[in-house]
Amino acid sequence: MPIFESTEKMYEVLGGLFTMLMQNQEVYTKAKEAGISILFQIHDPKGQIWLDPDDPRHVICGAHDIKPTITMTLSGDSCHAFWLKKLSLPIAIATGKIKSKGPIPKVLKLLPMLKPAHEGYPEIARSHGLPVD
Amino acid sequence: MSYIDLCTELTPAQESIKKETNKFARDVLRPAAIELDSMDPLSVIQSGLYRDTLRKGYELGYHTIFIPDTWGGLGLDPLEIHIVLEELAWGSVDFAVSLGVTCFPAFFATMVPNDKLIDEIIVPFCENKDATIIGCWGITEPDHGSDQLSVGAPWFHDAKITGQCHARLEGDAYVITGQKSAWVSNGSVASHCMAYINIDPSMGLAGGGIGIIPLHLPGVRRGAPLNKMGQRALNQGEIYFDNVRVPREYMIVEPDSYEPMLDLTLATANAGMGAMFTGVARAAYELALEYAKQRVQGGKVLFEHQLIRHKLFQMFTKVEAARALSRAAFIYNLNNTPPLSRYSIAAKTYCTQVAFEVANDAMQIFGGNGLSKEYPIEKIFRDARAGLVEDGANDTLMIIAAQEL
Repeated sequence: MPIFESTEKMYEVLGGLFTMLMQNQEVYTKAKEAGISILFQIHDPKGQIWLDPDDPRHVICGAHDIKPTITMTLSGDSCHAFWLKKLSLPIAIATGKIKSKGPIPKVLKLLPMLKPAHEGYPEIARSHGLPVD
Repeated sequence: MSYIDLCTELTPAQESIKKETNKFARDVLRPAAIELDSMDPLSVIQSGLYRDTLRKGYELGYHTIFIPDTWGGLGLDPLEIHIVLEELAWGSVDFAVSLGVTCFPAFFATMVPNDKLIDEIIVPFCENKDATIIGCWGITEPDHGSDQLSVGAPWFHDAKITGQCHARLEGDAYVITGQKSAWVSNGSVASHCMAYINIDPSMGLAGGGIGIIPLHLPGVRRGAPLNKMGQRALNQGEIYFDNVRVPREYMIVEPDSYEPMLDLTLATANAGMGAMFTGVARAAYELALEYAKQRVQGGKVLFEHQLIRHKLFQMFTKVEAARALSRAAFIYNLNNTPPLSRYSIAAKTYCTQVAFEVANDAMQIFGGNGLSKEYPIEKIFRDARAGLVEDGANDTLMIIAAQEL
């Protein structure tokens, strides 16, 4: 049974997380300056979440029509584990749990920007009744 | 000398990166490497010239070639990294390898940027401009050369074959004991080692971890720098560990993910070797071309002799083919993870072979002068020969990569 029971639930939880992340002025500015857009191509449940600093919405759940700088392909469960810091990016990439497409230097540049999301996710997950331990 | 770039999409900034790196390689790296080539290995690392050359590389930021600009690294994209590696090695593959390897500990730390690694490893390294923080890559051991890189080989999981450098967890620290071989690049001069260490012997060579070991810690001892036939300005030397305690946070990779992370290391390192030995091949070709247009034999310059022209064109073609393959593999594997290691290995084995063949042909065109220390081609020939073994013997690498076909 996947952590996220449906695509809608996943969009609600992760969409909220990413909206919080992109509302962080420092993160938004860095992402914008670096010209980094990200597509999370998720399976189980299937969905797409985009972070696009050039789009007024910043976070788009579902279809979008840009070419992302970085594409991360992963399952909903891996997403959940990653944001809980139970899955480190290099190990997830090395073991194939996350497949990444896009310049590795930009992927590495992205990591420090994600800190607020890692810090905020346990509370968000808990508030949606998802397991965090 | 520069070359016509078949990539039609190079930006002015990328053209500038190529030009500036070539200037540094021509004016600083090549003359220094030639002078250091004649010294014994201990004198090399004790010389002011060696330290000054590294320092100049650090001042220009080449030591951070793989690190994002978030931390103060050069922040280059994969194509730019390939261009820089080719140019550095065109001047001196010895220093190119040294500058590439020095960033390994900090580069790997950027993959798991916790506060401790940021404060103690990544930022100090990127800010270092006097080459006092130097990384090394400690993987091979006296009894384990290319087999340490043999991800997926049947013997890799044989519990009877384990590493000679072990780590055991004691509280919040790993305790490390054992030896890394004389082939550790930057081994005698490094301040930090990115070490590949056996943690779970029951898993054989696959039961390793990847950790950063500060080399000022009690229990670390160095051997004499290695005396070798080529790349003599690249320091290599053994390191001994006697119950060295390293914070657990410094063990970036543990056995559960060691094998795929080793594969990722190999894919990056071998792709880099492809770029660098394209530069070595080009250096040999350009020297031979220049010589062939000046040296008169039989009443005309060598270049007017049909056989020499034919040979030079073959050399030119090989250099271009090496760049095409190594760039494609490098860019693909630094844009896709997990990488396809076989393409990096194809680039490494092909480009080192090309460098050796082109350097050999260049020696032949130089004739007797090619054997003389008065011309740099004999050094480039020796440097190129080392490339066939360095970073994994080509034969072994090809057998390993063939498993993926």
